[in-house]
Amino acid sequence: MSTVEDRPTTATTGSPREGERRWVGRSVPRKEDPKLLAGRATFVGDVTLPGMLHGAVLRSPHAHARIVSIDTSAAEAIPGVAAVLTGAQAAELVNPMPAFCAEPVPQTAVAIERVRYPGEAVAIVAATDRYIAEDACAAIRVEYEVLPAVVDPEAAMAPDATRIHETLDSNVAFHRTLDFGDVEGDLARAHTVVRTRARWHRMGAQPMETAGAVASWDPFDKSMTVYSNSNFHNFLPWAFAGMLGVSTNRLRMIPCAVGGSFGSKHFITKVLAIAGALSKATGRPVQYLEDRVDNIAANDNVGCDRIYDAELALAEDGEMLGLTLRIIDDYGAYFQFAHGQHGNAMAQPTGPYRISSLRYDVSCVLTNKVQQGFFRGAGADPGNFVLERLVDKAAEQLGIDRAEIRRRNFIRPDQFPFKTPPGNVYDSGNYAAVLDKALELAGIDDWRAEQERLRAEGRYLGIGLATCQERTGYNASEWWFLYDNPPLPATSTPESVKMDVDAMGGVRVEVGCPLWGNSPETVVSQVVAEEFGIDPADVSVTYADSTTGAMSAGPGGSRLTIMLSGATRGAARTIRDKMIRIAAHAMEMDPADVECVDGTFRAKGAPGTSMSMADIGMRAHLFFHDTPEDESSGLVAVHTYDHPYSTPPSADRKDMGAFYPMVSHACHIPIVEVDPETGVVTLRAYYAVNDCGTVMNPTLVEGQIVGGIVQGIGAALMEEYRYGEDGALDTPTFREYLVPSMHEVPEIVVEHLETPSPFTEYGVKGAGEGGRLVAPTAIASAVDDALKPLGVWVDELPMTPERVVGMVTDAREGRP
Amino acid sequence: MKPAAFAYLAPRDLDEALDQLAEHGADARVLAGGQSLVRLMNARLASPSVVVDINRVPGLDALAVTNGSGPATLRLGATVRQRTSELSADVATHAPLLAEAGAHVAHAPVRSRGTVVGSVAFADPSAELPAALLALDGRVVARSRSGERTIEADDFFTGPFRTSLDPGEMVVAVEVPAVGARTGSAFVEVARRHGDLPVCGVAATVTRADDGSVAGTRIALCGAGERPVRARAAEDALTGSDGGEGAVAEAAARAADGLSPIGDCHGSADFRRHLARVLTGRALRTAIHRAAGEATDV
Repeated sequence: MSTVEDRPTTATTGSPREGERRWVGRSVPRKEDPKLLAGRATFVGDVTLPGMLHGAVLRSPHAHARIVSIDTSAAEAIPGVAAVLTGAQAAELVNPMPAFCAEPVPQTAVAIERVRYPGEAVAIVAATDRYIAEDACAAIRVEYEVLPAVVDPEAAMAPDATRIHETLDSNVAFHRTLDFGDVEGDLARAHTVVRTRARWHRMGAQPMETAGAVASWDPFDKSMTVYSNSNFHNFLPWAFAGMLGVSTNRLRMIPCAVGGSFGSKHFITKVLAIAGALSKATGRPVQYLEDRVDNIAANDNVGCDRIYDAELALAEDGEMLGLTLRIIDDYGAYFQFAHGQHGNAMAQPTGPYRISSLRYDVSCVLTNKVQQGFFRGAGADPGNFVLERLVDKAAEQLGIDRAEIRRRNFIRPDQFPFKTPPGNVYDSGNYAAVLDKALELAGIDDWRAEQERLRAEGRYLGIGLATCQERTGYNASEWWFLYDNPPLPATSTPESVKMDVDAMGGVRVEVGCPLWGNSPETVVSQVVAEEFGIDPADVSVTYADSTTGAMSAGPGGSRLTIMLSGATRGAARTIRDKMIRIAAHAMEMDPADVECVDGTFRAKGAPGTSMSMADIGMRAHLFFHDTPEDESSGLVAVHTYDHPYSTPPSADRKDMGAFYPMVSHACHIPIVEVDPETGVVTLRAYYAVNDCGTVMNPTLVEGQIVGGIVQGIGAALMEEYRYGEDGALDTPTFREYLVPSMHEVPEIVVEHLETPSPFTEYGVKGAGEGGRLVAPTAIASAVDDALKPLGVWVDELPMTPERVVGMVTDAREGRP
Repeated sequence: MKPAAFAYLAPRDLDEALDQLAEHGADARVLAGGQSLVRLMNARLASPSVVVDINRVPGLDALAVTNGSGPATLRLGATVRQRTSELSADVATHAPLLAEAGAHVAHAPVRSRGTVVGSVAFADPSAELPAALLALDGRVVARSRSGERTIEADDFFTGPFRTSLDPGEMVVAVEVPAVGARTGSAFVEVARRHGDLPVCGVAATVTRADDGSVAGTRIALCGAGERPVRARAAEDALTGSDGGEGAVAEAAARAADGLSPIGDCHGSADFRRHLARVLTGRALRTAIHRAAGEATDV
């Protein structure tokens, strides 16, 4: 534990003083809404090209099997079927999907010879419509030799377990133990060591719109145009080109509006490869859009699936000393993003607390399930769950109030920037103030009285409490620093915009990120409005395809508002400075004496003489001789904003460096009622106080928090991928995999505290994942509190009716 | 999730519909509200070659109370929507259990399309309305080109999504005897979410004698077996008793006797037995109170 000695060299000159801002911080109406609400945004499913075919996929009914033979002749004979491809045939057209792992775990979009999870693609079809394509899938005959399914990750670790990949010596694809600080000393010194074995289960993002692509291969100039809902078209387009077998400068990826992602569509290489292979095979554009069954079975967004053995060492007074985490993570059948989810978790494993040592022991295990991807929380979600469970348990064991033990251990406001044991830095915060505000907001004393009243009636009301971190704004090192010899030790996560002011003074911004369900148009417009003093409604925002040179890692890791603020402000200042120079030249003044106020350029403190945006725009575009000598024509700026504060990991990995330093914080207080006879948990109320630094737009932030809490309610109570002993997916549709509806969601009351980040423009931090990063553990805490008279302890989610009744029964019968 | 090809027929009257069903036999499915059938077809879990849409058949949308020589009977035709039944004053008066159970079926927009008869004929072992029909001692009116017959609810449901209907036969109505005086009913369920099929549900009617004892009861469970089932051991335990807490507890304890629930991801067989006991107790308490004329909500 220490404070940061070296302040970031890239820190900005500071934000304007409070009260000076006009547009940053206001609930500007969301610019994206009208087209979305009217159904007029163009999604990948809306794209229609001349001669376009429709794809469908035949999927394996088995978790693990050898493909003995595939007979596609009957399918090919169906009128309207243009192509049927097996995995081997597809492999002649497209390459294996890119993976971030160093281990030899190849993955193709269509399985070759062997299927490794239920729902893995076995054959793909292109036909004149989707109905015929599905008829063709039904007509394909596949002979399988069923192999033993590896379902239980602990059993998968056994040396004699059936191996998922012959290229590996074991199903444990990766194992590493890392100690930070004096772990053994803290354990030895501890008065109490609280232990838990906790389970964090498989969930997925379940976006309303599934993943999809329209690929159009041009056989004459060997180029491909792809419409999709991927996020990485301006970040890793070369990786897509390699997979599609197209030279990098002949691939054009066009972003479509995205119907929700929650981290689920960064790469979506399967749909891109499938549409690409079918287009190459037919010479026609092919649309492949997953249906719900496709998406649930074979998506790229299943989240973490972990078993934790965790210990928290404490002094007698409740001071938290050290934390050990032994983690088994079930990665499923492939290792697409390597252990990036654990890199992510390393950003905040010790939470908001002054814990000085950490042991992180992780085993990444392969089983016969769909592979992990990224989903809101991205690896930090289970860590928050386990840490807060340990803290609650410590409070119980030490007889300290839940809020008090947190207060005693919070990093204090004067300790920021704070360097955590693994090396990541927290920029700023005031955790005790957030906690106090949440307790006040919830009216905690009133709920305690209500709890007493209901207990007298035999009813079980519970009050939850969780205080968690939300690391925001990642740097690429999190993907690879757990490797000593990473395959691609990238250090950039850039975000760029291209801005221009036209001859009539109109401002246009082209962003590199897609419209992924968040609000890039609104944020960019607010920043432009702030910098020029114009109305955000007057700013035009468009989306760049992959041929413009835009660089964008896009939304992910709650980074976009931070990064777009930086990119847009940078571009705006470049253009504004040039406009000031032109205006000063025209008005025969020193540029230092000219300011931009309300979209006009005028002498500081002397508003008499001024020029409008249009005056300067016309001059800059058409009157080269009337501008300063060293100014070229036009008002265009491209600004790339790189990560505002990151440091590399040390070679010995004793210090992972700062890679996720904009750290938001939240305290959630859910109120539940539990029926111990039926196991039904009902949310009665929900309170959240959030600190994401300067709030760019309160309405947008509230939307993010509420949406995240709803997904957290799903995590806590119902969402779950379940597999049978034979490896069959028992939750293949939304009748089995349950997501919360409005009926399961109480009114959610959100308030903010604003502790600006010293690292970012305006002091903003991210807010995209906080709801889901806090809600599951907060609701677990509430159920514990409700059933405290019965002695229940929640260490596994979701708290289904059956699981709750089981916990009550176990507690009554004295089972652990 | 696209259906296989099928022929769509839209008969203009009942005779035409019955002719079409006779012609296509087991290859045909009747389409009423489409809230179950269409989903199955999209998932290709059902691939009928012919769909007979009865929505244009006149007269099937009748919801009527008939007063013959015996007690009144409530009759719901094959295209009476669940929402219509749920909001009907006649249903509220003569078979309030049907309305109470019906309110648990999915969500209002689904109930505005889905039909009561469709849910009964679909025979989902977890569904509310078949259990309600069973508890109400209802019957199914089936017709084919060769005539009409009435099937007691006890005999209608034969297995998961299976009934005693013959190919070429369709359900034209369900009938429920109007509940008499001193009869109370209740429906309770545990569903994973509002509007989901229940993990387990209990429909109960209790009739009390003049002296307050339980003269008769019918307890039907959904989600507790391969079809909606009567909890006969519980019925026996309660019948003739004083209807007090002890008798209810005894009946509830026996509610799962003989059950063979099908476990799935929403609840194991054991958990469904547990819920059958808990919910039977709750349903009976409410039904007994209501039978005594006490307004008690679940």
